[in-house]
Amino acid sequence: MFKWSIIFDNLPFLLAGAWTTLALTVVSMIFATLAGLLVGLLNMFGGKVIGAITRLYIEAVRGTPALLLILIVYYALPRIGLNLPQFPAAAVSLAVCYAAYIAEVFRSAVESIPKGQSEAAFSLGMSQAQALRHVILPQTFRRVLPPLANEFAALIKDTSLVAFISMEDLLFKAKIIGARTYNVFSPLIGAAMIYLIMTTPVMQWSRSLEKKVE
Amino acid sequence: MDVGMMSQEKLLIVDDLHKSFGSLEVIKGVSFDMDCRERLVLMGPSGSGKSTLVRCLNWIEPPSAGRITFDGKFVESGKSDIRRLREDIGMVFQQFNVFPHLTALQNVALGPLVVKRTARKAAEAEAMELLAKVGLSHRADHKPGQMSGGEQQRVAIARALAMHPKLMLFDEPTSSIDVELIHEVLDVMVKLADEGMTMIVVTHEMGFAKEVADRVIFMDQGLIIETGTPSEVFEHPQQERTQSFLSKVHLA
Repeated sequence: MFKWSIIFDNLPFLLAGAWTTLALTVVSMIFATLAGLLVGLLNMFGGKVIGAITRLYIEAVRGTPALLLILIVYYALPRIGLNLPQFPAAAVSLAVCYAAYIAEVFRSAVESIPKGQSEAAFSLGMSQAQALRHVILPQTFRRVLPPLANEFAALIKDTSLVAFISMEDLLFKAKIIGARTYNVFSPLIGAAMIYLIMTTPVMQWSRSLEKKVE
Repeated sequence: MDVGMMSQEKLLIVDDLHKSFGSLEVIKGVSFDMDCRERLVLMGPSGSGKSTLVRCLNWIEPPSAGRITFDGKFVESGKSDIRRLREDIGMVFQQFNVFPHLTALQNVALGPLVVKRTARKAAEAEAMELLAKVGLSHRADHKPGQMSGGEQQRVAIARALAMHPKLMLFDEPTSSIDVELIHEVLDVMVKLADEGMTMIVVTHEMGFAKEVADRVIFMDQGLIIETGTPSEVFEHPQQERTQSFLSKVHLA
């Protein structure tokens, strides 16, 4: 049966897991955003070959489970000599995965800027890079924030996949408490509440940004 | 005409220019040239290729075939060559295309700052002068979203002038502006013409053409079908298609 006392007695333990979840989310998100911007730009402006390679990457990631990537990086890469500790392995996998989603966020934002904007930039003699830097990207900034916040909230949830490589994130800690107390129900509900406390403000923020952009 | 003028090179020579979009040929071999300080008005029904023609002149639309010689140099489609060409050719668009994230002043200063690497102070001082010239000193710190179409278009003109172009292209500059504000933009263009700016203007504004144009070029279906002074073309059009177009514009 559900017992508040189990949650409260083990709160520090759960919060330690929440801290891991949050740290992993933030680190992965930073790398995913930078890589996503780069991949998105290369996909749009890198020419035919680079465009095809980045498209292949984006579609491959979108078409496979994130968990698969985590398992490959943590269990399969060591077989070819690439041995990463838990946290970096998890962060790399999630960043590689989310970079593909975020590349698409940047692509659709850039494509939503009217063509006349880059034409005007070009007509002043700007290069493609200058037009992007001074005219196009500053205009996409407001448009990418709401979808980026959504990706951030999704990433908070997806970090729970690292329980599969025995990383002690929020979900894994909850399972440990369940095993220790013979009460599975309470710690899982506790974990759910902590996940909600983390994701809800992010999604609210995204929604209010969306309204502002409109 | 004195000898100095006679020997002066043409600013722009367009030779047998073609432009296709896929299998659709929009410009079917257009040739003309123009001197410095000359003002040319391009007219014709929609779909005649006049907008595409001016967009080819600064490679916003790369021509499919033909030769363009600008300021004595044959233009080749290498990237740096095209960029230098665009620095020397200002363009004003039908939809203004001002940069919405920047103030009027920043819009005008951006080209010199980024492309010519002018110092910020100098670029902004000149941008202020140009805004004064188009009558928008009081709007320097406003963003395009707070401005009327006529004001946005004048910012766009100032932005193009900031690059000190040798030629200004106007692609239907007043077609998207409320009727009562069109004169604001035309006044600025007349002023530019009076100062000796070389201009190619795509427009249906007959009054402007009569007042300013040295030559009117009439296009239809991707070809130049008639060219002459405004009075020649407007009062004694030789071609039937010119006559029928003009009768419609007169009525409008």
